[in-house]
Amino acid sequence: MPDIQTILVYAALAIAVGFLVKKFFLPKKKTKKACSNQDCGCH
Amino acid sequence: MSKQIKVALIGNPNTGKTSVFNQLTGLNQKVGNYPGITVEKKEGVCKLPRGIKAHILDLPGTYSLNATSLDENVVIELLLNKSHKDFPDVAVVISDVENLKRNLLLFTQIKDLKIPAILAINMADRMDRKGISLDIELLEKKLNTKIALVSSRKGTGIDTIKELILEYRKLPTEPCVNASVIDKDYFENLQNAFPDQELYKLWLVITQDVNFVQLNRHTIPDTSSFNTKSRSELKRLQQKEAICRYQFINGTLKEGYKVDAGAAKGLRASLDRVLTHKVWGYVIFFAILLLIFQTIFNWSQYPMDYIDELFASFSEWAKATLPAGVFTNLISEGLIPGIGGIVIFIPQIAFLFLFISLLEESGYMSRVVFLMDKGMRRFGLSGKSVVPLISGTACAIPAVMATRNIENWKERLITILVTPFMTCSARLPVYLIIIALVIPDKRFMGLNYQGLMLMALYLIGFITAVGSAYLLHKVMKTRTKSFFMVEMPNYKVPLLKNVALTVLEKTKSFVFGAGKIILAISIILWFLASNGPSDKYANAEEIVTEKHRGQDISEEDLNTEIASYQLENSYIGIIGKAIEPAIQPLGYDWKIGIALVSSFAAREVFVGTLATIYSVGSEEESTIKNRMAAEINPVTGGKLFNLASGVSLLLFYAFAMQCMSTLAIVKRETNSWKWPMAQLILMSGFAYIVALIAYQVLK
Amino acid sequence: MKTTIAHLKRGEKGIIKDISIDNVPVKLFEMGCLPGNEVELLQVAPFRDPLYLNINGSFFSIRRETALLIEIEKLNETRAL
Repeated sequence: MPDIQTILVYAALAIAVGFLVKKFFLPKKKTKKACSNQDCGCH
Repeated sequence: MSKQIKVALIGNPNTGKTSVFNQLTGLNQKVGNYPGITVEKKEGVCKLPRGIKAHILDLPGTYSLNATSLDENVVIELLLNKSHKDFPDVAVVISDVENLKRNLLLFTQIKDLKIPAILAINMADRMDRKGISLDIELLEKKLNTKIALVSSRKGTGIDTIKELILEYRKLPTEPCVNASVIDKDYFENLQNAFPDQELYKLWLVITQDVNFVQLNRHTIPDTSSFNTKSRSELKRLQQKEAICRYQFINGTLKEGYKVDAGAAKGLRASLDRVLTHKVWGYVIFFAILLLIFQTIFNWSQYPMDYIDELFASFSEWAKATLPAGVFTNLISEGLIPGIGGIVIFIPQIAFLFLFISLLEESGYMSRVVFLMDKGMRRFGLSGKSVVPLISGTACAIPAVMATRNIENWKERLITILVTPFMTCSARLPVYLIIIALVIPDKRFMGLNYQGLMLMALYLIGFITAVGSAYLLHKVMKTRTKSFFMVEMPNYKVPLLKNVALTVLEKTKSFVFGAGKIILAISIILWFLASNGPSDKYANAEEIVTEKHRGQDISEEDLNTEIASYQLENSYIGIIGKAIEPAIQPLGYDWKIGIALVSSFAAREVFVGTLATIYSVGSEEESTIKNRMAAEINPVTGGKLFNLASGVSLLLFYAFAMQCMSTLAIVKRETNSWKWPMAQLILMSGFAYIVALIAYQVLK
Repeated sequence: MKTTIAHLKRGEKGIIKDISIDNVPVKLFEMGCLPGNEVELLQVAPFRDPLYLNINGSFFSIRRETALLIEIEKLNETRAL
């Protein structure tokens, strides 16, 4: 029977882990997809 | 929402473009990056009369529309691409009244692209002193534009710019120079081959230096109707173009721009005589560096001590006030010390960027580049590497980004690779706390030992950086010839507003960029330290009490032992113990091991981690430093932080590649995982060996 | 032997005659380094490298190796403007 404080701790932990994962893994994928070179030619 | 007028600020470096930008936008500005590349993108909103707003984009400084660096390339890519979302409705070309001749070259190029352009002549406050007089009306007619005479220093003329932006539809768009006269036949062919395109745009796309710029040229292939010229021929034409433009500019300025030569050069000549002197120039530069580091150490100590105490008492207060439970523990033991570990950096970062921006704003930084170029070149670096290396003392991330204005790829790569050896501000808290623990607070000839030790660490970082640059220079093969040109701007009294905005922006980017990571990690660390996988963790109290049954032991000692038993059996204790055999020869225990592991996310976490570990292990709230000083090495029985282990730890932090963010930025700037991985393995391996030797010798 | 910017002494002036086009970057042309313009050597770093110049009213420094590619004719006296 978990109390409210335990739930909050796990919620905070989940946010922290989620943030770090997003910070270190998602931007790399974005960089690969970025089309700065293809998109900027002279049309 | 009504549509905003899109304005691009364009201009040569050192024309006070950023000051004009700051005047136009005030605090309504944000700094980001261009997508996919790490060129700084500054934009803001400016309120114009009649309730209309303008979106202002401060483009990187450029001398012309021929890009030789990534920064300049941003300008070209934007101005050549009409479908770009930031393509300006109107360009404001900022020029310096003292350098009008050269500044107008860029202006005439922008006019050739048929973008409505306003000419803002900045530094008007210097006209009297320099004996310059302008015939604005005549210049407006000749240049086919509207002119705003501006002094960003005094804040005059800004309203004129706003008025002109508002009326941008009335601006003439005819070019003032016809570049095609340099080779009529060639340009005619070009236009015939691509009748839909702007002629000057075609010419720019053809002549961009493709070795450096990844500009897409597939729209201009060699066709039967049109033959491209050889590089050498194109270059000859480019020179002709420059001559042609200067002829026009000289003709224009002859009538509209008068300089009374009697007003002497004055300040520049006499300051340069000293500041770029073969001996005094260097003496002054090193004196300035010494001053900066002594000041950072002494000045920031007061706010840092205050912040340290403030957060200690705040976390005590939180524990006493909030309802007891695990979440309260998270707040008082994880969250508050974590935030404190971020805030404590602010004084140093602010002071360092204060000095860096003062040096840059005053024009002195270019003299440093001039003085250092020959020396740096011997190590495969450029005089321009000095700025990234000095910026590296704040943070390797902006420093690696600052290498973009080094044109030569090899010099640039070497600078990127060695910059992380420079002592970044994230190492500073680690250094400060360990120095305070193991180096006596005494004076020698008026100089503080601790301050000297800190300076020695900065020097070690610098020497290792140039030393490894030399090795890289010898190992790597040269492909391109290096080219170097640095403008020597006029000396100026730094504008307080610009300096303040730089300091504010850098501090903000640290607190909200790196700070979030640090906070997230401190929450995770707290969790790992407060939970364990086995029954040993959950039943720590009974196990320890059982062990001491019948013994005469005070309750306080018992509690401490329970806490440390818990920590040993927590997740984090298990990780730390697993690496202990590897780091024991360096004089570290498993608690330092934990801190080392967490440092790979960001070095500054070291202190926060130790704070978390120790505050978990003890009930009384002494400050972090006192707690560390009391720590005992379980193997030797002596103090854990003594001279040998302290120096070993300092050296490990000086050399090891411990920053995920730096690795990420190096990957992005070099476009390959090869270089960041080489940094990680070589730097950390070197750090391990040096720290090992240091501990074994001093032990 | 040709006289180049690298042969100027501190404080001396010259007029640019010819530039080795293939080896000098376009950027220098655009800074005003073009035939006919006046160049003044303001300051030299140790080992005479880099050189701090005033060309056509622009102040900048270039390396000796680049300066050697820009041929000049020395002006003997400092002319009063």
